[in-house]
Amino acid sequence: MNNNNPYVPIPMRLVKNFTETEDKLIHTFTLEFVNKEDEEKFKYLPGQFAEVMVYGKGEAPFGIASAPNEPGILKFSVAKVGVVSTALHLLEEGSIVGVRGPLGNWYPLEDLKGKDIVIIGGGFAFTTLRSTIQYLLDPARRGDYGELTVIYGARNPGLLLYKDEIKEWEKRDDINMITTIDRPVEGWEGRTGFVPAVTKEVAPSAENSACIICGPPVMIKFTQPVLEELGFTPEQIIMSLEMRMKCGLGMCGRCNIGSKFVCKDGPVFTLAELKKLPNEY
Amino acid sequence: MIINKREIAGLLENLAKEYRVYAPVEKDGNVLLEVIEEGAEAALGAATKKPAKEILFPQSEELFSYQLSDEGLRMEDKIDKTKTVAFGIRPCDAKSMILLDNVFHNDQYEDVYYTTRRKNTIIVSLGCSEPESTCFCTSVGGGPFNTDGSDVLLIDLGEKYLAEAVTDQGKEFLSKLNLPEAGEEEKAEAEGIKKQAQATSEVDITGLKEKLDGMFEHPYWDRLHEKCLGCAACTYLCPTCHCFDIADEAKDKNGCRVRNWDSCMFPLFTLHGSGHNPRPSGKERWRQRLMHKFKYFVERYNATACVGCGRCIKNCPVNLDIRQVLAEIKAQDTGSEVS
Amino acid sequence: MQNITNVIKDTAKKLLEEKKVDLVVGFAKGSLPLRSTPYFARTAEEAERLVWDEYCENNLANYLRNREEKVAVVAKGCDVRSIVALMKENQIDREKLYIIGVPCRGMIDRQKAGELVGGKEILEAEVKGEEVVLRGKGFEEKVKKEELLYDTCARCAYGNPAIYDELVGEEVPAREANFKEIEEFEALGAEERAEFLAKEMSKCIRCYACRNACPMCYCETCFVDSSTPQWISKRAYSVKDNLIFQGVRVFHQLGRCADCGACERACPMGIKLSLLTRKGVKDVKEMFDYEAGLNPNDKPVLNDFNTDDPQPFLMKE
Repeated sequence: MNNNNPYVPIPMRLVKNFTETEDKLIHTFTLEFVNKEDEEKFKYLPGQFAEVMVYGKGEAPFGIASAPNEPGILKFSVAKVGVVSTALHLLEEGSIVGVRGPLGNWYPLEDLKGKDIVIIGGGFAFTTLRSTIQYLLDPARRGDYGELTVIYGARNPGLLLYKDEIKEWEKRDDINMITTIDRPVEGWEGRTGFVPAVTKEVAPSAENSACIICGPPVMIKFTQPVLEELGFTPEQIIMSLEMRMKCGLGMCGRCNIGSKFVCKDGPVFTLAELKKLPNEY
Repeated sequence: MIINKREIAGLLENLAKEYRVYAPVEKDGNVLLEVIEEGAEAALGAATKKPAKEILFPQSEELFSYQLSDEGLRMEDKIDKTKTVAFGIRPCDAKSMILLDNVFHNDQYEDVYYTTRRKNTIIVSLGCSEPESTCFCTSVGGGPFNTDGSDVLLIDLGEKYLAEAVTDQGKEFLSKLNLPEAGEEEKAEAEGIKKQAQATSEVDITGLKEKLDGMFEHPYWDRLHEKCLGCAACTYLCPTCHCFDIADEAKDKNGCRVRNWDSCMFPLFTLHGSGHNPRPSGKERWRQRLMHKFKYFVERYNATACVGCGRCIKNCPVNLDIRQVLAEIKAQDTGSEVS
Repeated sequence: MQNITNVIKDTAKKLLEEKKVDLVVGFAKGSLPLRSTPYFARTAEEAERLVWDEYCENNLANYLRNREEKVAVVAKGCDVRSIVALMKENQIDREKLYIIGVPCRGMIDRQKAGELVGGKEILEAEVKGEEVVLRGKGFEEKVKKEELLYDTCARCAYGNPAIYDELVGEEVPAREANFKEIEEFEALGAEERAEFLAKEMSKCIRCYACRNACPMCYCETCFVDSSTPQWISKRAYSVKDNLIFQGVRVFHQLGRCADCGACERACPMGIKLSLLTRKGVKDVKEMFDYEAGLNPNDKPVLNDFNTDDPQPFLMKE
């Protein structure tokens, strides 16, 4: 086998297949590196993705939900939509899967040092945002950043990802964790309302700040003007895009927006960068 | 060097002992690049139906195979290291390889399947003394005797070919063939032929990229695709189109990963799992194809992704002629641009 | 032909000017010799570009499915057969369609013309009555038009449109449908047939021009594109899978195929697809005495059942 062949996945062991949401449509998979040298080579940052392969079925791209400060493992939260994700959902713990990556660029956290960070997420697009939070909360790193505000919305409490972790984050004072659901539900103690409205209420300051936003297109569409109202410039708004992808290497040709490949030049773009690209995503 | 046409068959047969030799061959009504086997007759000079890209980037190829069992995982990658000669391809096809090099070895990744074949392939192209009416290579930076991408260029002198080494690899290749040196007269004749030859068709693409810069939202795209069937004849037969799909073919946990040509003209090419499609109709797909060749590729690799071979023109089932499209785009009023 | 062109132009202009239709689908002069190209005219000025000649080979019914606007179409016999078949499948609303029917004597096969001049490039062609003059670099050849017709056209019995709102040109004389090439194929041994099909299918590059050129191939997701489940390999060069692709396509066309040959014409690799499609047409005709798209009032044959339907595939009779 050629070690520099970017098409060949490394083997990883599925150590946990966890049903994340009440509707059972999203599972979080924790994978362990089988080979030490693979782990050493797999250096990634929050925002990157990988192709996860089920032997006998194929591979599909998923954002990495774990963080670099969680050594030895990778986590992916995957909705059951296609051949590969369905096969993943059915996999028994202990199975071997393939992983190809890390692919794509990452949230520019290095450039955001000294700033307040606002993270806005919706639905199951919270995966790489979890990675970001986990990364920023690392005691060795937390001091490099100002306030950390997280606004996370889902249709109902059962559909929130990472519920236990969110509870822990809510207890901390170095992160302002705000969850919201679309409609009131008995026993729900968080906020109620759509993400754009909640963002308006919370009104994070745009001054010396950056916002990372990831979620369904409709959430982004309505949150963007709220952020602009709050004074966030297009350079301060950082987004992660989804596209149909195959190679992840900028070759197979399907994920481009203008001359940029979402798989290789993205998936992370600032709104300022996106505004320069054709509206075709 | 001089190769007598009568000796071509013997030469190819000899080469085939050391190399996998591809040459144009007439096969069931089409001229195709085929591996020369004993007794096969090369149809040199004919345009191949399919482009030469398939030598480096076959329409379907296995990337690797795998077997996962209780004993563990076994993988085998299928990198093709066969020493190869492509004999008698057209200069436009040779040039396309230079363009494809950009794609398959980008600033970050190397597609070892492509690059390994590329390193092991000697390109012997045959200049076009009589370009077809659909050829417009000279309009896109090529020419009937352009040497971009070739290691050796052949020039047809009637009864014989004059072979010119273009690269060091080509020089070494020729030196091993024990061919007679070309005389001064033959060299002069070859130069004369080169000077005379010109693609018959012309398309003016100067300023086209700048024009396209301001045309993403232009109404021109609304109707361009109307007659297009949305098939892949144009893209599959294009020497520079390189989009592909990756699929697993497997039984249980044993299988292989296969790469197949794919086409931006197919609706499924960009369809998301959610059902959303950023290029939902022929309009967006045609715009993509055009923009990719004449704008995006220029922005990324500083080259036009078209070599003017005319295959898309000859093979389009509805005669959607890219030369006309380019001329129409040039004639559009985009309001904003200078010139 | 010039005369027919003029009548088509005038009709189209009138329809557009009087706002009876929003669009006329017809043909314009192509960019290559022996080639006309589908054309969409929305104004009287655009209608001026419409033509009719021996190069109008595409089946325009392909452009008529599920149109919102009122459309007129310039349609030859086979186009109309497909239109009728599509009407039965609720894909075309007859109320919104104006058919400018044109009796057809057959279209010219560029491939054949090329072969007749020894593979040299034809730069110019001129139809003079029943003769075609083919010119290129250093040659000029006169050929009988009849010799240049597409095989499917030469054997076609339905040059006259079955239905129309207006007929342009004179009806062509009635002809008997001819399935000679199918009979010859049927007479071959099983091995020879398999060998022939394997040879043809080995040419396929899976560009799907055949499928996309066919007015009747309109499944939202064709089985070859389906990934859940993946019915056949997406690999080219797989003779077996290519044959399944074409085989299923032909079966899906039984009783629907108008025998227009659009699939074969669209194929860039020159695969003899009409051998397969016409075998289906012949079998349906023989077994059920049915030919698609001839009668707007009958039921599509495979949507209908008679107790005396032949069932050789179910039981020995």
